[in-house]
Amino acid sequence: MATEGVEKTSEDAPAAGKASTRYDLEKETELRFEVESGEAAEQVELELLTGMAEVFGSELNRNKKYTFGPGSKIAVFTWQGCSVNLYGKPEVAYVSKDTPMLLYLNTHAALEQMRKQAERDNERGPRVMVVGPTDVGKSTVCRMLLSYAVRVGRRPTFVELDVGQSGVSVPGTVSALCIERPADVEEGFSVQAPLVYHFGSTSPGTNIKLYNKLTSCLAEVFSQRCEVNRKASVGGCIINTCGWVKGSGYQALVHCASTFQVDVVLVLDHERLYNELKRDLPHFVRVVLLPKSGGVVERSKECRRDTRDEKIREYFYGFRGVTFYPFSYEVRFSDVRIYKIGAPSIPDSCLPLGMSQDDTQLKLVPVTPGRDLTYHVLSVSSAEDGDEGARKGIVESPVCGFIVVTHVDTQAQVMKVLSPAPRPLPRHTLLIMDIRFMDMK
Amino acid sequence: MNMTVTRTQRSAAVAGRPGIMADQNNTDDKGKFYSEILSPSELFAARSRSHKIPVRGQKDFFPDDSDEQKQRLEQSLNEHWSLVSEERVERLGNLVKGEWIPSEQIVELQSPAGKFWQTMGFSANGKQCLLPEEALYLMECGNLQVFYQDLPLSIQDGYEKFLSANTVSLQQYQVFGHLKRLGYVVLRFDPSSESSSYARQLNLPQSRDRAGRTLKRKRSLSPAPSSTPTATCSRAEAQEECSTEKMEEDKCNEGEEDKKLPEPPEAQSSADEGGGRSWWMTDVLGDSDKDSGHGSKSVSSCWDFSSISFPDLGSTSREHFPGGLAPPDPSLLPGDLKVGFCDVGAWRQKINLRQVKMSANEQKKEKYRRRWDVNKNREVRRCRNWAEYQELMARRKGKREGRPAHLWNREVTPLHDPTQPIATGELLEKISVIKPTHLLEGASRLKDADDWRICFNVYQPDTVADFKKSNPGKPYSRMCVCSFHDPVPDLRAIKLLAYQSGDIPVVIAVVDYGDISFYTFKDFQLPTDVYP
Repeated sequence: MATEGVEKTSEDAPAAGKASTRYDLEKETELRFEVESGEAAEQVELELLTGMAEVFGSELNRNKKYTFGPGSKIAVFTWQGCSVNLYGKPEVAYVSKDTPMLLYLNTHAALEQMRKQAERDNERGPRVMVVGPTDVGKSTVCRMLLSYAVRVGRRPTFVELDVGQSGVSVPGTVSALCIERPADVEEGFSVQAPLVYHFGSTSPGTNIKLYNKLTSCLAEVFSQRCEVNRKASVGGCIINTCGWVKGSGYQALVHCASTFQVDVVLVLDHERLYNELKRDLPHFVRVVLLPKSGGVVERSKECRRDTRDEKIREYFYGFRGVTFYPFSYEVRFSDVRIYKIGAPSIPDSCLPLGMSQDDTQLKLVPVTPGRDLTYHVLSVSSAEDGDEGARKGIVESPVCGFIVVTHVDTQAQVMKVLSPAPRPLPRHTLLIMDIRFMDMK
Repeated sequence: MNMTVTRTQRSAAVAGRPGIMADQNNTDDKGKFYSEILSPSELFAARSRSHKIPVRGQKDFFPDDSDEQKQRLEQSLNEHWSLVSEERVERLGNLVKGEWIPSEQIVELQSPAGKFWQTMGFSANGKQCLLPEEALYLMECGNLQVFYQDLPLSIQDGYEKFLSANTVSLQQYQVFGHLKRLGYVVLRFDPSSESSSYARQLNLPQSRDRAGRTLKRKRSLSPAPSSTPTATCSRAEAQEECSTEKMEEDKCNEGEEDKKLPEPPEAQSSADEGGGRSWWMTDVLGDSDKDSGHGSKSVSSCWDFSSISFPDLGSTSREHFPGGLAPPDPSLLPGDLKVGFCDVGAWRQKINLRQVKMSANEQKKEKYRRRWDVNKNREVRRCRNWAEYQELMARRKGKREGRPAHLWNREVTPLHDPTQPIATGELLEKISVIKPTHLLEGASRLKDADDWRICFNVYQPDTVADFKKSNPGKPYSRMCVCSFHDPVPDLRAIKLLAYQSGDIPVVIAVVDYGDISFYTFKDFQLPTDVYP
């Protein structure tokens, strides 16, 4: 089934000298291909020859070559039928008829119907939460729904709550991004002025209290934006969540649904989660069960780590490491204050009377700069540099940027940092992440 | 060897004497020495007279109507009278001559100044001058004789002429004299000479060439050393203004070394006002409708999901999608797509139905949870949107926690919600209604008040040997004078004084008739032994 309609036409190789393969796709089928991961892997180029096709909701231009780097997993879908050329050697490439795209499109249609109604009745647009276990294509569904919405002229907001694999900013953050144009086929959504909050770790489980707090912060800011910006209000939002759907992770989902006041919950491929949410969310929230695409592949731990690293590299060096030129300079310890959010847990018996364990999770713990700071990613908090009194707002302040500590000199009391902007630091309150980044390339 | 000795009176106590003296002086033909020449016996008597000031002894607090007390009081009073009415005998050669110039409120010296010149007086237009309080003090010490309209002034005249609202008050003079007698160097305080805290921080060199009080004074520029308080004030302000301007210039010049360099624009824009949120909320995209205000507040009413068809694979009712999902309206789709029916049934089998592995404990919980459904509750079913639902939840929560609602739904609420955990230190901070303050905290924003001002700079006696009027250095303290009957200065006044004085302590001299006591306010912090 997968090889139907494929004609190997290696004779019309392009000037690049790479082997080319031509695929003719019938209507409502998709071509899935993966590019080998690893340093030495060859890039794969994609070209649309005839017809119309889209990659995760973004339409392809005809006769334009799209390049996909190592580790890419791409699905080219066509509604009407098309023919494409692949240059280079993908790890796998096959055509599949078995795609839930029609269901996703129907979902979009329903959401669009809601937006129309919102526009007509001067109400707010749909707020959608996408949930599901890991590796079911949550981010891809979000990207598709957002791209479709933009293509019909909406201005939806993308709320990224997946701290492990953030699609907007570096990992370890939660963020919100206004979507104004469809995602770029190669780069994804253009990240302009996102609202980013520091979480500090790749798993919400390390500090679930903080995670919920930041969710509330985002929800509050988004609601305020909706009040002043009618278009954003009608556009609604699409919330991407973590793949953690049990225990506290599940509670976090319910909390998120409640703070964002979601109207629709899309559950991907997890019937139990679907049933639980139906029980725990009030009746006026529409919970929808959707299948996952057969093209979704499971990502290994290494693969996830690599994507995280890539995301941080992209922050400093730009897409494919060519667009930006970061700065490196020294920062004196005395000029900055470094905090970690969340004190280490202590047994209840050691706590002062009347205090519970939860209270420590939002505490700011000063970090003494030392050698172990090396390679850590630090968020530059936008909180005003004040004295002790100003410390309270730090947790709820968005982040204005990130730096990486590349070297620590305890003798001279300075650390060398990698920074996207030249010195000095715009603010002097830094929040440390558990995430480390080694600038190897 | 003529023993030329002059007589002056110690005080104005004996009203008749100065007049007599003046008459005698007027009758003097030469008009050169307005003084009496003493005979040897008189001089001897004056020399051998006891110079001791009578001891006052124990203070009586209460009149007990006894003769003994009355007698003692009378005797003491007489001793004082005789002391103040006593004629003082000085060597004429020791007396410096000066002339009182009322228009400028200064005393101009007509003969070379004595040793006192090291710590007192100033030069103007090549002439040596004394401030009225200095002149009066020197008169009392027997070092100076002041003439006015060619007539010598008695000490009583000095008190009357020199002390006024434009120069110094009697109380200020009493403090001045007291400190001088103790050996301190006392100079008038000039607020404009005091560098601001910012200048001190920058460690700017102190500019000593101030207008008022130094050796090279331009009389034309500042006609009166004892100008009225308002005049000094305005001059001080003007000077301060120009000094701040200068500072700003300095700041600009130093910009390159300064830590606070202009921030990178993109970082700044994202970090602006109020934690950087507002830009994100308010940037208006393209052509957003202006009439967003009304209606959008009401949190979305229930959507009619029977007309909005989601491809929900989980819905149990198969009749939702008979023979698949109807094709959506092309107007809803991007790029005017037209798609056909969608077979939902086929997808239903592919959904992940596998059982999740759970421990026994989890299974028990799960069982319990299966029976629980928020929507079984009738109140929840009645809610039409999130706002109503959340209000219901809050109500339930409030009921559960048993917080007395009546305390919290009015304007004034308790300082702290007992259900909210809080560290002890924070709690103490929260309930301490009166906040501690430092003397200099916020003082720069206070406006000047007229009722309290610093009068004198005081320098320690042991520095007199190296003292230079042109460069007096840092005073030991600053003196503020008030009467015993004045109210105690309030926090505002103290803050203002402390700000004006900078790092030099301000001492308040309280004059209770002849007695002077000194007080000072010091910054200190109450100890708190609360672990933060």
